[in-house]
Amino acid sequence: MIQSVLFAGVGHLAQSGSGCLGPNGTSITGLCTSDNSLHMPVAYRSILPMLVLFIGALVLLLVSALLSKRSRPGLYPVLSTAVGLAALVASVWEWYDVGNRGVSTIGGQIFYDRFSVFFGVVVSVTVVLASLVSDSYLRREGLDGVEAYALILLAGTGAVLMAEAAGLIMLFLGLEIMSIALYVMAAYHRRRTESGEAGFKYFILGSFSSAIFLYGVALTYGATGSTRFQDIAGYLARNTLVHDGVLLAGMALLIVGLGFKVAAVPFHFWTPDVYQGSPTPFTGYMAALAKAAGFAGLLRTLTGALSSQQANWRPVIWLIAVLTLLIGSVMAIAQRDLKRMMAYSSISQAGYVLVGLQAGSAAGTAGSLFYLFTYAFVIVGTFAVLGLIQGPGEARNDLGAIRGLARRRPGLAMAMLVFLLAQAGVPLTSGFLAKFYVIEASVQRGQYPLAIIAMLAAAIAAFFYLRIALLMYAGEGEAAGPAPALEPAGGGAEAAGEAAGEAFVADGALTAGLQPVPSLDGATATLTWEPPPEERIAIPPAVAATLAICVVFTIAAGVSSPIIDFARHATAMI
Amino acid sequence: MEQYLPIVLLLALVVGFSVASAIGSRLLAPKRRTGAKEGPYESGIVPRYSPAARFPVRFYLVAMIFIIFDIEVVFLYPWAVMYRQLWTFGLAEMAAFAIVVFIAFAYLVSNGALDWGPRQRTGGRPPADLARSTAATVRRVPRPEELIERAGPEPRPLEPDGAPGGAPPRQAQPA
Repeated sequence: MIQSVLFAGVGHLAQSGSGCLGPNGTSITGLCTSDNSLHMPVAYRSILPMLVLFIGALVLLLVSALLSKRSRPGLYPVLSTAVGLAALVASVWEWYDVGNRGVSTIGGQIFYDRFSVFFGVVVSVTVVLASLVSDSYLRREGLDGVEAYALILLAGTGAVLMAEAAGLIMLFLGLEIMSIALYVMAAYHRRRTESGEAGFKYFILGSFSSAIFLYGVALTYGATGSTRFQDIAGYLARNTLVHDGVLLAGMALLIVGLGFKVAAVPFHFWTPDVYQGSPTPFTGYMAALAKAAGFAGLLRTLTGALSSQQANWRPVIWLIAVLTLLIGSVMAIAQRDLKRMMAYSSISQAGYVLVGLQAGSAAGTAGSLFYLFTYAFVIVGTFAVLGLIQGPGEARNDLGAIRGLARRRPGLAMAMLVFLLAQAGVPLTSGFLAKFYVIEASVQRGQYPLAIIAMLAAAIAAFFYLRIALLMYAGEGEAAGPAPALEPAGGGAEAAGEAAGEAFVADGALTAGLQPVPSLDGATATLTWEPPPEERIAIPPAVAATLAICVVFTIAAGVSSPIIDFARHATAMI
Repeated sequence: MEQYLPIVLLLALVVGFSVASAIGSRLLAPKRRTGAKEGPYESGIVPRYSPAARFPVRFYLVAMIFIIFDIEVVFLYPWAVMYRQLWTFGLAEMAAFAIVVFIAFAYLVSNGALDWGPRQRTGGRPPADLARSTAATVRRVPRPEELIERAGPEPRPLEPDGAPGGAPPRQAQPA
C-alpha cells in the first residue's frame, strides 16, 4: 500500500519533470540542479593518474588477501612499480590530452590543467622510485608485506588530489589522504622505538597543522563566500575588501597549515625527529612527496586563488623563505646524524622553492616546479644510499658510517657525490639550474636581498654537503689521523682525500669495493674508532637501477633544457 | 549582533543556574556518607570482586571494523532514498564505494582480524603454543574465586554484611 503510493508519487514526479520537488513543491534537497536527474558528469580522464594509483592500492590489498601469507615476497614491489609506471603513462597521455587549455571538472572540484598533470608525473615518478628502493630495505628489516606499498600508493593518491584540487575542500581531502598514509609509514618500523616516536610526533603535529589549515579554510570561506579557487579569485577581483582582517587571518592560517607540510621554518620542528626515525627509504619518499604536494597546494592557493592579494602574502613568504634558507643551512652543519643532517638540508631546499613562490610570477612558478621535480630524484636517491650504508637495523646513521665509502663502494660513493653536489647547487647538476631559475625569477621581480640571501645560504649549505663528500673520500687513508674528517676545515681533510684517492688508485687492483680495509696494515691498526667487523655493503639490483636513474636524471636535467620547458608549460593554471 | 542576544542570554542563564545549583547544594544539603554512596557505582550495587585483569584487545579491532561498515551503511541510506533520481550514476558510484569497502573487508579477513582469541599472528614466528584454543584461552582468564585467593589486591567489602569477610567493616562517617 505504502509502496504503491510511493511509486505513484515518484511516477508523478517523473512525469511532471520535477524530480527534486516534494509533493508540496518544497525542495527535498539542495543537491538538485537539473530537472529529473542528479546525474553528474564525471570526466574520469581528468583524474586518471589518481584513479590508477588508488585502484592499484586496492588491487595490491586484494592480491595479498587472496594469496597466502609470504608466498610471493617480491610480488608487491613489482606490482607497485607497475602501478606507478601506469600512472606515469596516464599522466603523459593527459599531458597531450589537456593541451594548453584547462578546465574545471567534476562539479567544479577538480582542475584538469597542465599544473595538475605535472604533479601527476612528479608523484608517479616518486612512487616508482620509492617502490624500487623500499623492497630491499624492508626485507632486510623483516618488514616486507603489502602494507608498505599500499601506503606508498595511497599517499601518492592524496598528493595527486592536492595538485588537482580546484577548491580548498578538495585540497584538504588530498592533504589528509596523503598525511595519514605518511603517518603510518613513519611508524612502519615496528621494532625501532625511534620509528614509533617519529610516527607519533608526525601524527600529533600533523593533525594539529591540519586543524589550523581547516580553520584557515573556514575563515577564507567566511571572507570570500566560497571555497573554490575560481570563485575566491573572482570575488576578490570584483570586490575590494575594506575590512580584510578575516581574509588575512584565513590566508595566514592556510600558509601555516601548508608550511608545516613542506617543513618551512617556523613550522619545521617535527622534521629532524621524523626524518631520523622513519624507515630510511620512506623518509626519502616523504620528503619528495609531501614537499611536492604541499607546494602544489601553496601555489594553487597563493598564486592561483589569492593572486590579487600578492601585496599581502609576498612579504610573509619572503620572511619564511629567508628563515627557512638560513636556519635550515646553519642547523644542518651542527648535526652529527646523517638523516638529521639531510632533514635540515631538506628544510633548506624548501627555502629555494619558497623563493620561487615568493616571486609570484610565471617564471617563479616554473622554477619552483622544476625544483620540486628534480629534487624528488635527488632526495630519494640520497636516502636510498643512506639506507644501504646504515646497515641492518639502521645501526649506524652517524657521520662515521659514511667514512671511507669511496674505498668500500666507489660506485655508491659516486652516486652519493652526485646527489650531494646537486643539493649544493654545483653546475652540471640539476640542483644548479633549479637554484638558478628560482633566484632568476626572484631577481626579475627586483628581490635582490632575497636572491643574495639565497646564494649565501647555498654557500653555507655547500659546507656540510662537501664535508660529507670529503668524509666519503677521505677516511681510512694513510694520511688520515685519528679523526681527520671531523675537523671542519676543508684544507686538511681535502689533502687527506687526495692522499686517499692516490692510494686508492695505486692499489686499484685490489678492487677496493670487495675489501673493507684493503692494504694498509700499518695504518689500519691505528683505526680503533671503526667497529672491526665491517660488513661489505651489498647493493641490491633494484636500488642500483634506481640510483642509476636518479644520477642520470640529475646530470641530464643539469645540462639540458627539456625539463624546464616542461615546467614552464605546466605553469598554466586556470 | 542582535540575533545573538538570545544565545548570550541562554548562556548567562545556564552558567548562573549551574553555579547557583552547585553552591546551593553545597550549602543546603545534609552530608551523610554511607557505604553505598561511597561505592564505585552510583547504582549502589556492590562490586563483589575486582574486574578480571586481562581481556583480549581484539575488541578494539572489532570495534574499528564495525565502524567501517557502520559508515558504509550511513552512506547507503541517502542513496537508498534518492536512488531513482541518481539511477545509473548513483548505482555505479555506490558499487565502487561498496567494492572499496569489500576489499578492505577481504584484507581484514585474510589478516585474521576476525579470528577470535589472542593468538600471535605478527611476524614470521609460529604461535607460541599451537595447542592453545579458544577454550583454553577462556580457561586462562581467572575466575573470581581464583582472583580472591591470589595475592593481588583483596576485594574490599563495602557493606558490612554483604561481603565474604576480609577487611573489618567500616563505620559510616557522619558529616
